[in-house]
Amino acid sequence: MSSSSSQSFFARCTRSRSFVVGGTITAFLLLCAVVSLVWTPGEVYDISIKNRFLLPSAEHWFGTDLFGRDILSLLMAGTQNSITVGVVAVSIGLFAGVGLGLIASARRGWTEELIMRFSDFSFAFPAILSAIMITAILGPGGVNSIIAIGIYNVPVFARITRGTANAIWTREYVMAARASGKGKFRITMEHVLPNILSILIVQATIQFAIAILAEAALSYLGLGTQPPHPSWGRMLNEAQTLMFLQPMQAVYPGAAIALAVFGLNLLGDGLRDVLDPRLSRKR
Amino acid sequence: MALLEVKELDVSLSTAMGPARAVRNLDIILEKGQTLGIVGESGCGKSMTALALMGLLPENGTTSGEILMNGEDLLVKSEKEMCKIRGNRMAMIFQEPMTSLNPVHTVGRQIMEPLRLHRGLSKKDAFTEAVNLMERVGIPNPSERVRNYPHQLSGGQRQRVMIAIALSCSPDILIADEPTTALDVTIQDQILELIQNLVKEEGMSLILISHDLGVIAENTDKVLVMYGGTVVESGATDQIFGNLTHPYTQGLFAAMPKLGMGRNGRLTTIPGTVPDLINLPTGCTFTDRCPLATSECRNTVPVAFSLEAAHKVSCHHLDQAIEARGEGLYK
Repeated sequence: MSSSSSQSFFARCTRSRSFVVGGTITAFLLLCAVVSLVWTPGEVYDISIKNRFLLPSAEHWFGTDLFGRDILSLLMAGTQNSITVGVVAVSIGLFAGVGLGLIASARRGWTEELIMRFSDFSFAFPAILSAIMITAILGPGGVNSIIAIGIYNVPVFARITRGTANAIWTREYVMAARASGKGKFRITMEHVLPNILSILIVQATIQFAIAILAEAALSYLGLGTQPPHPSWGRMLNEAQTLMFLQPMQAVYPGAAIALAVFGLNLLGDGLRDVLDPRLSRKR
Repeated sequence: MALLEVKELDVSLSTAMGPARAVRNLDIILEKGQTLGIVGESGCGKSMTALALMGLLPENGTTSGEILMNGEDLLVKSEKEMCKIRGNRMAMIFQEPMTSLNPVHTVGRQIMEPLRLHRGLSKKDAFTEAVNLMERVGIPNPSERVRNYPHQLSGGQRQRVMIAIALSCSPDILIADEPTTALDVTIQDQILELIQNLVKEEGMSLILISHDLGVIAENTDKVLVMYGGTVVESGATDQIFGNLTHPYTQGLFAAMPKLGMGRNGRLTTIPGTVPDLINLPTGCTFTDRCPLATSECRNTVPVAFSLEAAHKVSCHHLDQAIEARGEGLYK
């Protein structure tokens, strides 16, 4: 591809304000996660009770929690956790859900009915409820909560894939492809998937934000990440009992979750503007 | 043995209101190198016939009869076997060049695909062949155009690309379904001439589907005139155009604008609309619109009557129709 089209892609990226803001926030969170792998301002796993509830200072920017750990360090390390959950859970949803959706759309008939009714069935349970159910079966823990959120993502992607793919199957270029002797698998990979990719990418960023929220909720309920691993949801849980004594303890992780979800949703919006100009709202 | 022999082909589409009989009792004989035109107004079953030949009917479609290609019945073949025939021995050009190419792939890649699929060419050979094909179909500067995306080409050029794709594996039969309808009049002639030349060079057989009598007259050896899903008149092109017989064929002709008719002259029309394919009238399907219709037409289906060699007309009132040729049936 020539340089002109990559330039216009870049230009479209910078022109979309949501993309720039959302992208910056997401990049910032990624940076925090990467930096926390090698360095945090304080120790994440060291408990020192005599330093509990310190007020913000040069040494502890956001103060310390009830075990005397540096809150900024905990937040940074919590980013890792949230991003891991998001990436893995969305990947599970993408691979299984998109696969199922494409099969449903290519095979039609009873295969489609089976897949779609099954995803309707799993939709009948609210996300958190089904996640609680799955962690109740598999036992609480970081990995199990990721699996639970991932499984919840499968029907979401299956539905959106099947719906958009069905629209592509009726296009004339698919008919032309069939007329040139291509089988359903080739048409799916060469014609259907590339044409629905932009919608899937946008949906993936939104599901990413939902996954972070769901993980925080599960950890808050004590079903997700287990101590001593840092997690925003668990920080909220620990702060809850101290709401009236140390209100700021709850504000920091809450703000972090809000920022991440806000950033990812904006990024999803921006990506939609950039990838599929036809879908973007008129400004 | 004819290259393509269609015997008593019936196509029906199941709908919520009952089966729609899109094609009834259709016979085609096409020899190698022959060009066959199928003409008729919208909804007469032209496109359904083409799709049935390719085995690409919508999922609610069912067929009966026989489609013999070199003696092999295509209707009993599996989807896998049909995939080897489509694009390879039988190819199709569609009406809408604007939407018949995938917007996310370069045109070169789309021409290369059937070459690699059916002829097993390597990527490099397929690329060279794609450039050659683009040159053959008259796209200027093919070695650069091959990297273009469909939106960077004009409508005429896209149709040329579609022709290149259809030609890529030198099929025995090329089906062109209204190949020029979506194009400018100035481009139409060029595209038809291109198809004609390529068909002659390759010794292919062509099935040209059109509602345009001029296009059919200039480009075909044989013609089927279809109405309401069935053939009302068939024969050699010069026989039919020299001796318009069936009242419907006469009506189609009368409805064409003529040179020198003046700016206030009104076009002749055939009164009424095409029959409802779900509730087809008994007897002759053209009865409701035919100026010669009698109760006989309403009750019994006319059989094909041979006027002269291979010129067949399905009408109960042949003599009256022939008499009316001079002054015209439609006023």
